[in-house]
Amino acid sequence: MSTTPTNPTLTYLQRDKDREPHMKPLSIQLIVRLFGYTRPYARIRNWLLAIILLRAASNPLLQFTLAWILSVPIAQGSTSGLVLGLTVFTLLTIATAIILHFRERLALLLGEKVVHDLRNLMFAHLQRQTMSYFDQTRIGRIISRFNSDLDNVRVGVQNVFFTSLMALGQMTIAAAIMLWSDAELFAVIALLVPILWLINRYFRIHLSRAHRSAQESFSRVTATLAESVNGVRVTQGFSRQDVNASMFGDLVTDHSKHAVRAVRLNAMFLPLLEINSQVFIATLFVLGGWRVFGGHTDAKTIIIFLFMSNAFFTPIRTMGMLYTESLMAMAGAERVFNLLDREPQWKDSPQAVALPLIKGRVECRDLCFGYDPQQLVLHEINFTVEPGQTIALVGATGSGKTSITNLIAKFYLPTSGNLLIDGHDILDICSQSLHRQMGIVLQQNFLFSGTVLENIRVGRTHATDQEVVEAASKLDCLDMINTLPDGFETQVGERGGNLSLGQRQLVCFTRALLANPRILILDEATSSVDTMTEFRIQRALEVLLEDRTSFVVAHRLSTIRHADLVLVLDQGRIIERGTHNELLADGGVYANLYRQFIQSSEG
Amino acid sequence: MPPQATSDPPFNLNVNEPSNWSLVRRLIALSWQYRRQMILILTIQTAILAMTVSGLGLTGLGIDVIRVAVDANAPTPKWPLGLAPPASWPSLAVMFAIAIAIIAITLTNAALQNRYTVTMGRLVQQHVVVSLRKRVYDKLQRLSFRFFDANESGSIINRVTSDVQNVARFLNMVLFSSINLVIALTFFLVLMLSIHVKLTLACMATIPILWVCTVVFSKLVRRDHNANRVAGDDLVLKLSENLQGVHVVKGFARQDVEMSKYRKANKHVSSMQNRIFWRVSILSPLTILLTQVNMIVLLAYGGYLVMQRELDLGTGLVVFAGLLGHFSTEIQRIAGLGNRVQDSLSSAARVFEVLDTPLEIDSPPEPVTTDRFQGAVKFDAVTFGYRVGNAVLHDIDLEVQPGQCVAILGSTAGGKSTLLSLIPRFYDPTFGRVLIDGIDVKRMDVETLRRQIGIVFQESFLFSNTIASNIAFGHPEATQEQIETAARIAAAHDFIMDLADGYETVIGERGQNLSGGQRQRLAIARAILMEPTILLLDDPTAAIDPETEHEILQSMDNAMQHRTTFVVAHRLSTLRRADHVVVLENGRIVQRGNHRDLMQASGHYRDTAQLQVADTESKRLLGVAWSARPRALMADSPS
Repeated sequence: MSTTPTNPTLTYLQRDKDREPHMKPLSIQLIVRLFGYTRPYARIRNWLLAIILLRAASNPLLQFTLAWILSVPIAQGSTSGLVLGLTVFTLLTIATAIILHFRERLALLLGEKVVHDLRNLMFAHLQRQTMSYFDQTRIGRIISRFNSDLDNVRVGVQNVFFTSLMALGQMTIAAAIMLWSDAELFAVIALLVPILWLINRYFRIHLSRAHRSAQESFSRVTATLAESVNGVRVTQGFSRQDVNASMFGDLVTDHSKHAVRAVRLNAMFLPLLEINSQVFIATLFVLGGWRVFGGHTDAKTIIIFLFMSNAFFTPIRTMGMLYTESLMAMAGAERVFNLLDREPQWKDSPQAVALPLIKGRVECRDLCFGYDPQQLVLHEINFTVEPGQTIALVGATGSGKTSITNLIAKFYLPTSGNLLIDGHDILDICSQSLHRQMGIVLQQNFLFSGTVLENIRVGRTHATDQEVVEAASKLDCLDMINTLPDGFETQVGERGGNLSLGQRQLVCFTRALLANPRILILDEATSSVDTMTEFRIQRALEVLLEDRTSFVVAHRLSTIRHADLVLVLDQGRIIERGTHNELLADGGVYANLYRQFIQSSEG
Repeated sequence: MPPQATSDPPFNLNVNEPSNWSLVRRLIALSWQYRRQMILILTIQTAILAMTVSGLGLTGLGIDVIRVAVDANAPTPKWPLGLAPPASWPSLAVMFAIAIAIIAITLTNAALQNRYTVTMGRLVQQHVVVSLRKRVYDKLQRLSFRFFDANESGSIINRVTSDVQNVARFLNMVLFSSINLVIALTFFLVLMLSIHVKLTLACMATIPILWVCTVVFSKLVRRDHNANRVAGDDLVLKLSENLQGVHVVKGFARQDVEMSKYRKANKHVSSMQNRIFWRVSILSPLTILLTQVNMIVLLAYGGYLVMQRELDLGTGLVVFAGLLGHFSTEIQRIAGLGNRVQDSLSSAARVFEVLDTPLEIDSPPEPVTTDRFQGAVKFDAVTFGYRVGNAVLHDIDLEVQPGQCVAILGSTAGGKSTLLSLIPRFYDPTFGRVLIDGIDVKRMDVETLRRQIGIVFQESFLFSNTIASNIAFGHPEATQEQIETAARIAAAHDFIMDLADGYETVIGERGQNLSGGQRQRLAIARAILMEPTILLLDDPTAAIDPETEHEILQSMDNAMQHRTTFVVAHRLSTLRRADHVVVLENGRIVQRGNHRDLMQASGHYRDTAQLQVADTESKRLLGVAWSARPRALMADSPS
């Protein structure tokens, strides 16, 4: 950006380095593939093609009839000619209207159908991706595949192909009529075409650049604005209002410069097009006049040329616009197809079998794992968990606690070593059958927007209302749910924003309990809640962990104390193991950590 | 902090919804300051109209000249304003003259249009939008917390972005367009009438139908579009939640359910679209049909008139056809204008609401001048509610000596954060007073007051910027040395230096991710840099693992030195450090004293403490370990 403001800024401004190109050259391969998606709708597509051809003819014909009426019956005073001409004109008008209706509706329909199918395909494909894909891909990116990229593809299908076809047809027919009327005159007029095309290209390219930079500067405005609003309490607390206001002023002024640049380009472009069509008329008068007076052609021809000019020149403008759109459609299609072509990093092996009902025995043998195989985050993990036991995983951030739970959930595959569930190697079982017998509660306590009831049912889709209520009452949170404004029918809001942290946790517990899993994975939330809620959560946890194999990334003392086995992790290795009491008695790292904690809270 | 906005927050929209008329008056008043540019633009626009019509007239003239040259019976061309060329000129010379005139007019017209677009663009983009945005932003920064409690951040952001744009459009696309529309319609109508009165009337017959059709259809389609947007947003929400909750989706084997949910929503969007397609694809053929009906009337009646020699072919019929075309285009614009008026007005209401909201918390006209605070804070019978009749704090009396540390404990929504936020006047008490060094905070200059108070918020909001500029947030001119000193006190210097770019590391969405403890230490450094006399810590350990809590305890201890400190806390580690503990329940102080006293009494404090205290068995075990291997343990310690 040439005019990035120089003042210090509220937020760090940078050009989006990994910005994606918004245009790509035309590629036959992409077009053919995209066209393939119209195959299920071949009937619509073929009708549309036929209609397009009619539409290409109808406009020049209307103009021709008009010119003919003016220059023959009216100029020569033939009433019967006028009646004939008007009849033809009326019929053509009606036909045009009907053709136009189908042309628009079918094109819109076809585009929507293709986009609809692509959306479903993309969504389904995403469901097959492994967890590593979601670690590596920003959500915003994926969403823009569905929004702007698909929109560009839609325009490509709806508009670019069929409209170009129509524009070309219309030009050809108009040219044919003019050629037939006066070939030499047309030859001169046709010289204007390349000029018009060049003007079009030049301005389209520069306009789209100007719009991009205006957009970019505007995204800086909104980013700063969003932070200002979200951080307004900090701003006021630190009395920064004036400083912020002047920074924001600079950004807004900068944006207006870009916006005005786009306006200036537009202010050149449109009048230039206008000049072109007027130059055409002037040329026509001089050349045409010369030929008429010389007896080479007649006045009728001039009028026909005058009326045909629109049918001949407008398509050039249209195609200039379409060309830009087609390049954008290419870029969109390419990214959409990339998403669809990206194979999941791994799949269940073809021999994978559905896991029978399990007891919940989990065994790790020399388990090693790295998100990047070159960089292991877990080294030779060995442990065996009997059905029904609770395992607490303890260690600093980055010590590998979450990686262990991720492997047990088969979100990732071990790099080496074996992970056995009831004696079945995790590689040989089908993920879905494992997940059906597993429950998961994560730190963020993720809720989908919808009601409390719907969110609990995520655990088991077909659970009856009765079963949901039972699960809630087992965890003793029925009264908590009933105090919500609409009880089970309360809308939780986006990401559960209408509920408090503690309420969100309890809903997630209920969800997990409803699933009644054999293996439970629980990543305890760290945030502190008030005493009453803390009591509740501890009690609910006890119920939830009962009678199932549980892996808890633990932060609560009470959870750790009750665990059958505490695994202390450091840099991807198990450095201590045993029960809480054993570990304290051993006086190792765990005992030391615990002492530190006691010292800080009790002195 | 404050409770969720409920159904009747004080600053919601629609409270005093201003009438449309008063909004329009205000918008016109706003536009009035740009009257000089507006008059200039209108003049240009009128000149453009004149040029367009002249070009059309010359085309007609050209046709007539050619016609008369070929057909001696044809009527002689009518030259406007008596500008007829000498009869001696050959026809070709006349045509040449007309061609030159057309090109001259075209060039003038192009230049005028360029001026018009540029002038208008600069007026709107550089003047109106920029000044409005600055004004709204500046006002927003100063509005009280109540405003931000009551409005969602998305809606507030829109007010500065799209709403301002829509208000500016009022000037451009509503006010100006309507003036222009009236002028253009009159202009075309007068010219058509001057060519032939009856023909004009005949051709006007379908105009009302055209007008009604466009208005009705645009309303219908607009409604559909709105409904469709809702469905579209829902589809995006389904997708983004599926991605955000990918662990839940996979963990509960929900892929199939999610897929069918998405399919259904997708189908719904498609079927909504279908309806719009029907409507759209009926409207445009219909408009064309109606326009063509006009043309047929024109050809039939006009053609008859030409044959009767009542009308010229070029200057009469062709020019008339051109004028009629322009006229219909303008009529079709009216529908768009109506929609834009709606958009502008609802946006204007939102923008003006921000500009009109009174500054609830403002410095008094003649603030008491204060030296540096000593740091004595007193709550004198303070009652406070976010809404009238719904008090969150009742009759709070609390006195704190300079340099003391007060910890506040209590249940969620018990009023702890609220109590803190009364000291820097984020809100004013409903009854009672808050005094610093014996002076009511309301009598002080707000900025002076807040600059002597350091605040660490619960969710340490950091800006996506470098670490240095985040620490220097309250004091942008701070030297690197000052920044580092603050960071050292907050026990943040070491981890900052471990980052690749040190203090220049960019944090936030596109930058380095920091742990909760690290973020909180930066927030403490930010507060310390202000060298405040009074320090407010709103539950700074809330979002931090117990294992890493000790990282920030040091930082807090350092920060509290020699400052009056208020700290909201749940964790025993923090509560124990306070000189004084206050337990709030339902907005009242139910217990007060220090840790030792409160541990003796039964109540909320002891309950909380006991939840966190290590059990005796564990302690006994540790004690055993301690006595067995006293020194070795310390050496093993990872820290």
